[in-house]
Amino acid sequence: MTSTLDAATVTMAGALNTALADALAADQGVVVFGEDVGTLGGVFRVTDGLAARFGQDRVFDTPLAEAGIVGTAIGMAMNGLRPVVEMQFDAFAYPAFEQVTSHLAKLRNRTRGAVSLPIVVRIPYGGGIGGVEHHCDSSEAYYAHTPGLRVVTPASPADAYRLLRQSIDCPDPVIFLEPKRRYWSKETAQLEAGGPALDQAAVVKRGTDVTLISYGGTVATTLEAAAAAAEEGWDAEVIDLRSLSPVDDRTLTESVRRTGRAVVIHEAAGFCGYGAEIAARLSERCFHSLQAPVLRVTGFDIPYPAPALEGHHLPSTDRILDALARLQWDDEPDERWLDSGGAHA
Amino acid sequence: MTAVAAHPVSSSPPAGTGLLPSGEPWQLIDPAGQPVTEAGPLPPDPTLTELYRRMVIGRRFDAQATALTKQGRLAVYPSSHGQDACQVGGVLALREQDWLFPTYRDSVAIVTRGVDPVEVLSLLRGEWHCGYDPHQHRVAPQCTPLATNTLHAVGLAHAARLKDEDTVALVLLGDGATSEGDTHEALNFAAVWKAPVVFLLQNNGYAISVPLAKQTAAPSLAHKGIGYGIPGELIDGNDAAAVYTTVQAAVERAAGGQGPTLIEALTYRIEAHTNADDATRYRNSDEVAAWLARDPLTRLEAYLRSAGQLDDDGAGRLRAEAEQFAAVLRERMNADVPADPAELFAHVYAEPTAPLREQRDSLLAELRDAGEQR
Amino acid sequence: MPDFLLPDLGEGLAEAEVIEWRVRVGDQVATDQTVVEVETAKAAVEVPVPFAGTVTALHADPGTMVAVGQPLITVGPAAAEEASGNVLIGYGTTASPGTRRRRGRRRPQNHSAGPVRVISPLVRKLARDAGLDLTAIHGSGPSGIIRRADIELAAQANQAAPATPLAPAMPLAPATPITSATPVTSVPSAPSAPSATETTRIPLRGTRRAIADKLTRSRREIPEATVWVDVDVTDLLTVRTQLNARTPDRPVSILALFARFTVLALRRYPELNAHLDGDEIVIPDHVHLGFAAQTDRGLVVPVVRDAHQLSARDLSAALTAHTAAARAGQLSPAELTGGTITVNNYGVFGVDGSAAIINHPEVAIIGLGRIIDRPWVVDGELAVRQVTELTLAFDHRVCDGGTAGGFLRTLADYLEDPVTALGDL
Repeated sequence: MTSTLDAATVTMAGALNTALADALAADQGVVVFGEDVGTLGGVFRVTDGLAARFGQDRVFDTPLAEAGIVGTAIGMAMNGLRPVVEMQFDAFAYPAFEQVTSHLAKLRNRTRGAVSLPIVVRIPYGGGIGGVEHHCDSSEAYYAHTPGLRVVTPASPADAYRLLRQSIDCPDPVIFLEPKRRYWSKETAQLEAGGPALDQAAVVKRGTDVTLISYGGTVATTLEAAAAAAEEGWDAEVIDLRSLSPVDDRTLTESVRRTGRAVVIHEAAGFCGYGAEIAARLSERCFHSLQAPVLRVTGFDIPYPAPALEGHHLPSTDRILDALARLQWDDEPDERWLDSGGAHA
Repeated sequence: MTAVAAHPVSSSPPAGTGLLPSGEPWQLIDPAGQPVTEAGPLPPDPTLTELYRRMVIGRRFDAQATALTKQGRLAVYPSSHGQDACQVGGVLALREQDWLFPTYRDSVAIVTRGVDPVEVLSLLRGEWHCGYDPHQHRVAPQCTPLATNTLHAVGLAHAARLKDEDTVALVLLGDGATSEGDTHEALNFAAVWKAPVVFLLQNNGYAISVPLAKQTAAPSLAHKGIGYGIPGELIDGNDAAAVYTTVQAAVERAAGGQGPTLIEALTYRIEAHTNADDATRYRNSDEVAAWLARDPLTRLEAYLRSAGQLDDDGAGRLRAEAEQFAAVLRERMNADVPADPAELFAHVYAEPTAPLREQRDSLLAELRDAGEQR
Repeated sequence: MPDFLLPDLGEGLAEAEVIEWRVRVGDQVATDQTVVEVETAKAAVEVPVPFAGTVTALHADPGTMVAVGQPLITVGPAAAEEASGNVLIGYGTTASPGTRRRRGRRRPQNHSAGPVRVISPLVRKLARDAGLDLTAIHGSGPSGIIRRADIELAAQANQAAPATPLAPAMPLAPATPITSATPVTSVPSAPSAPSATETTRIPLRGTRRAIADKLTRSRREIPEATVWVDVDVTDLLTVRTQLNARTPDRPVSILALFARFTVLALRRYPELNAHLDGDEIVIPDHVHLGFAAQTDRGLVVPVVRDAHQLSARDLSAALTAHTAAARAGQLSPAELTGGTITVNNYGVFGVDGSAAIINHPEVAIIGLGRIIDRPWVVDGELAVRQVTELTLAFDHRVCDGGTAGGFLRTLADYLEDPVTALGDL
């Protein structure tokens, strides 16, 4: 896979656009469709210019029907195409949920490998854009919990290019979660499809005292928190998971066994959220290295709030630092979970 | 309507105005076996004979599967007894390069298409969720969530058009499925894209126990076509000749680039929903008896005999062939299929992921320990 | 699967003819339900089955004869009612329980007060690696949580040797040959003693606290008894002098000889080297010998591992080395834990006997008092001899006076007459 741009300043939306264009050019079987992706170029302009360049048979608009988009993509894939479909917003992907979980995730297994569905379902997810209801959900846990799906989310423009190219080339169905609040984030980078593999996490900052684990739109927040933590004397390591399913156990385990402390950060509600799985895995695999419980900094267990209160819900640098402070430094236990009265021996 | 078929049969039945179906279900051979000459020409005799032969075999297969279920050798069997004309007539109208998208009730259609009957029963015996390679005979896996396969059919057909290939998709659905959103979306997509799809709707009057009157207020299910800009055809689903002719015409329309057709075939599900259902709770025996009198095999046999295409010897030979088919099936179904637990992990992804390999190893270790302790 | 045998239906009849079965294979039958009609030479009889269940076999066709005592019908256990049978979409539930794999299960340790709370799994592991008993460690965190500092303290100090709780802190010099009658050693600095003019409060913390807890536990749990004996060690001292004259670079201390003879005597009385695990007496195949050593940090009990494999000279060298390390605070956790028996030379404090506190979870502690000139009877005449008092405190659950006394007598014999020890070497 060749890079199409020399190192240049590019936004995440731009990087995704380039990835789609490069994929369409590289493989005649790739088709891109969804609502408003053709003429308009997508509500976030991620598919801008593609219909004009590749024609209406390769890049096209569909009727307003998410189950229809995913269901017909399945049929197309059965006939040899590589559909890359778009769900316009995370919450609007729900009508397609049955097609995703009952067929997209299961057809390979159902046919013992005879049917392969190399389909990418792109979904803008997450909040932080002052959006009205239904436009800011984080649905990654539902998809990660579904065996047979890959779930992937980029945190940077360069990684957005790389992960989308790799997802399109992957024989498995991929739920590609695009952190919409980072669409306009910029990076100067050379876009290339090679590099870390689709199922690998990345250590984006090395550290010794604690491992901060995040993904997608929250990685930037976590890096800011790590910088603030340094001022307070904590040398934090930051991991960008990149792949939520399958998860990169090796990178996580190596890091947490080394630092002895871990915090998972995500926007989605904490209860039964993705962070719970990471915390459980770390507790199993790193038990004897842990100096403190694995903590999670997440959204509250509430429907995503209106813009006016959004800021209280999203993980922030302050909240991450609060969690860091509770990691039993100085041999002091986290008192939150101790009984008052100390009846136990 | 142009008639470009290779067979000397009219390409479409007299329809209602444009997209609307006819007021009465279209029929070529009446329940007594008499041709309805004003309806149009019949398929040629060899075709009718083949339709009958396949229905005899299919009916015997259906009875055998029902028996196997009562013997506990199948977990469940949704019978198509009574819907034989749709099962066979629809499939025989397909060309080799076309695709069939069946539901869980369409085992006879899949067998007629050429899939090994033991593989067809794999799902129903509980061995695996699909026992055959869809690409081999171009049959999608038996679909359980109703209506969801309509979208797959549309997608596959549309892809054929994009690739400039001559492929038509025939999707089978029932009256209950027409209430699902996926059916609506599929009809809409198919029409907008002019996808080469044929929707063969087997209206057998019930969705498990819920009768048609509770499923729709439309004058007929075929009337729904006009809402999408799709021609709707209403036919006698127990008339194999009518089914065959109509589906074939629709396949030609689709192959010619004129888009999808919605065919509503009126028929009846003689057995209960599955063997574990008690149909007497929601239907009365008079109704069943009335439909038994409209049996698709009986009427076609009557026609073929009257046309001199079938005599006792011929009928005897067909019966023997069907019995042989059933005997071989019984024999082969006696063989236990070894289930390999390691396979649980083999096809979740193209390559098992690291976490899956861990789980597989863990299960294999469990089994080893259990084996050693015995 | 009970077989119901044809009973004797009347006055010694030998057989009956089956007329009609009232049940079929697969039917459920209740106790005393009529299952068959048979005809004997005397009459037609309806026969009830004495147990309930599912009919699995009928052993005779109608019209055939069955001998008394032969199987008539077989009835299996009643079919489980929880099975659903065939369901709309599948086979349904089954009643078969399936087999369960056996797995070797480790029982959790007995914690009378529940699991001990430790600040982190890592610290818990540190404790385990150091061989520390968490229940004996005082947790200084809130709600008694054991913190890393608590583990580090306990590992350094180890469990206290319950030697002489009355003794002030005084340095021990076990290697010092006791040749004089006055075993008094130099007095070191003592901890701050309360002055007469004000009340002083010294908190029980760290090592002191750990030792206090250990001693308390020992006294609370162990029903101990004590035996003691006076021993004439004049000949031993002479022998020792001769021994050390031959190899002055490798001297043997009194304590080393005492330790060697103790190990020898344990061969005959291994119960005193044991420990209790739940309700089992565990007798190891090794002797890890602990000995009390006084340091600036307080009482320490270094452990010489595998003392049963060491000669007197080796023991002497080990005791010296361990004492030096103890004073320098350089003993590793392995050298502070795992002892199977403890010896205590409190004679250096200038006293004769001691009802010592057993070093839990051991079952015996042997004490050696000061060696002084005493009047003694030798060959019927009064003489002045070098005499010392041995005391043995032992866990009476593990052995009786016979064993304890026998052990002490054996040890006394070795010390009084070293030549007899030769036979057991």
